[in-house]
Amino acid sequence: MKFKEWLLERFPIDYEKFVEFNEKIFIKEPIPTHMKKWLFVMGATPLIIFGFQVLTGLFLTFYFMPSPEMAYESIRHITEDVRMGYWIRGLHRWGANLMIISLLLHMTRVFFTHAYRKPRELNWIIGVILFFLTMTISFTGYSLTYNQLSYWATTVGTNMIKEVPLIGDLMLFFLRGGDVVNTNTLTRFYTLHVMILPGIIFFFIFLHIVILRLHGVSIPEGFEEKYYSFYPHHFYKIIIATLFLLTLMSTLTVVLPPGIGIPADPSVTPTHIKPEWYFFPTYRFLKMVSLHVGIYATAAFVLVFTFWPFIEPLLSKEKRKQTIFSRTAGVLTLIITLILTIWETIVI
Amino acid sequence: MAEEDKKVNRREFFFKTGVFTALGLAILAFFRNLLLYIFPERKEKTFHKYLVAHEKEFKKDKRPKQINIGKTPVFVVPYDDHYKVMSGICTHLGCIVKWEQDKDRFFCPCHKGEFDRMGNVIGGPPPRPLDEFKVVVENHKVYVYVEDKVRSPWA
Repeated sequence: MKFKEWLLERFPIDYEKFVEFNEKIFIKEPIPTHMKKWLFVMGATPLIIFGFQVLTGLFLTFYFMPSPEMAYESIRHITEDVRMGYWIRGLHRWGANLMIISLLLHMTRVFFTHAYRKPRELNWIIGVILFFLTMTISFTGYSLTYNQLSYWATTVGTNMIKEVPLIGDLMLFFLRGGDVVNTNTLTRFYTLHVMILPGIIFFFIFLHIVILRLHGVSIPEGFEEKYYSFYPHHFYKIIIATLFLLTLMSTLTVVLPPGIGIPADPSVTPTHIKPEWYFFPTYRFLKMVSLHVGIYATAAFVLVFTFWPFIEPLLSKEKRKQTIFSRTAGVLTLIITLILTIWETIVI
Repeated sequence: MAEEDKKVNRREFFFKTGVFTALGLAILAFFRNLLLYIFPERKEKTFHKYLVAHEKEFKKDKRPKQINIGKTPVFVVPYDDHYKVMSGICTHLGCIVKWEQDKDRFFCPCHKGEFDRMGNVIGGPPPRPLDEFKVVVENHKVYVYVEDKVRSPWA
C-alpha cells in the first residue's frame, strides 16, 4: 500500500469519496432485470464497436496516406504487404458495417419498446443524430480508399448536397475544396473522418450515456421494476459481448477479407456503381423519383423520424392509440427499408 | 445447504476463470498482431549486377575511372589485375570526392578529407575508408553488386 500513499500525497483526492463515487456510478449502477436478456443489450454494442474503430483506425493512420497518388497504393500496401495489415483493415471495415447493423437493431428495439417516450425524447434525438453521424463517418471513410467505386460514390454522394436550398453550392464547394472530387476532397474527408466526426460522435455518446444514466434504463411493458447491480452480472455480459464482437469481426475478416478494387480513374465512370449497402434504400428511392422529390422526401422522413417522440403525442392523447400509430409507422418503415435494400441488392 | 453454496461457487469460479482466460488470450492475440503490424517487416537486402568497366579500358591508363550508378558517383580502381570499386561519397559528411592524379589521392573539398588510391584515409576528418562495392570480373567485364532499391515508396 506504500504506492497508494505515495500517489495520494501527490494526487490528493479524497480516496473514500472516490471509492464511494465509483461504487455508485459503476459497480452498483442499477440495471433493470429485463437487461439480463441479450436482446436488450444492443445499446452497448455500437459503443464497444466504436472503441474498436478508434483503435484500429488509429493504427491504420500509421500507413495510410491521404493523397490521390498514394491513397489507393497505401491501402494496397496495408492489405497486401504489411504484416496483419489485412486484419487491422478488415476489423475496421467490418466494424463499420457491424456498427451500423447494431445501431439499426438498437433503434428498432428502442422504437418498438417505446423507450423514446417522455421524458426520454431528447435521448432519442441524440441517438438519431448519432446514427446519421455514423452514416457520415462511414461515407467519409469509404471515400478514403480511392478506388473506382469509392471515387464515384463520393462524386455522386457529394453531388446531392448541391440540392440543399440556398447554401447547397457553397457547401459542396467547401466539402470538396474545389469543383470536382480532387486532392483537397481527400484531405478534407480524411480530417473529417479521423478528427472532426469522431470528436463529435464522442461528445454525443457521452451526452447519450449521461442522459441515460440520469433517467435510468427504461423498463419495457410487461417487465417488473426490479434492479440488480452492474457488477458482476452486467460487467461480464459486456466482456462477453466484446469478445464475441472481436471474434465475429476477425472471422468475417478472414472469411471475407477486404478487397482493394480498381484504382480511381476520374475520366471513366464504371458501368455499374453502387454505394455501400446502408445507402441502398436512399439510392433505390432516388432512382425511382426525380432528384428534387427524392431529396425533399428523404429530408421529410428524417425530420419526422428524429422528432417522432414529439409527433406521436400530437396524433393522439391516448397511449393505446399512440402504440397502434407507432407500431404501424415502425413496421411500415422497416418493410419499405427492407424492400428497397433487397431490391437494390438484386437489381444490377 | 452449505454444499449447495459450494457448488454455486465452483460454477462461478469456472465462469470467471473462463471469461478472464478468454479475455486475456484475446488481449494477447490482439497486441501480438498489433506489434507485428506496427513494426514493418525487415526484408533481406537483394542485389543486382551492374556493369562498371571493361578490362581493356585500363590496359594503358591505370587512373581510377569515374561513373555514376543512379545519382551516386563511383570510382573503379585497377590494381594488380584486380579491381576495387568505391563510392565517391565522402565518409565524413557526404560531399563528393574527386580524384587528383598529380597527388595520387581522392580529395574531398568540403573539409579537406584525403583518401589514397585504395580509399584509405590519409588525412583530414573522415572516420573510415570510402565505402566499397563487391566486385566480380566475368569475360573481361567488371561488375559490381548494387543493392536493389524497391520501386514502391515503402522500401
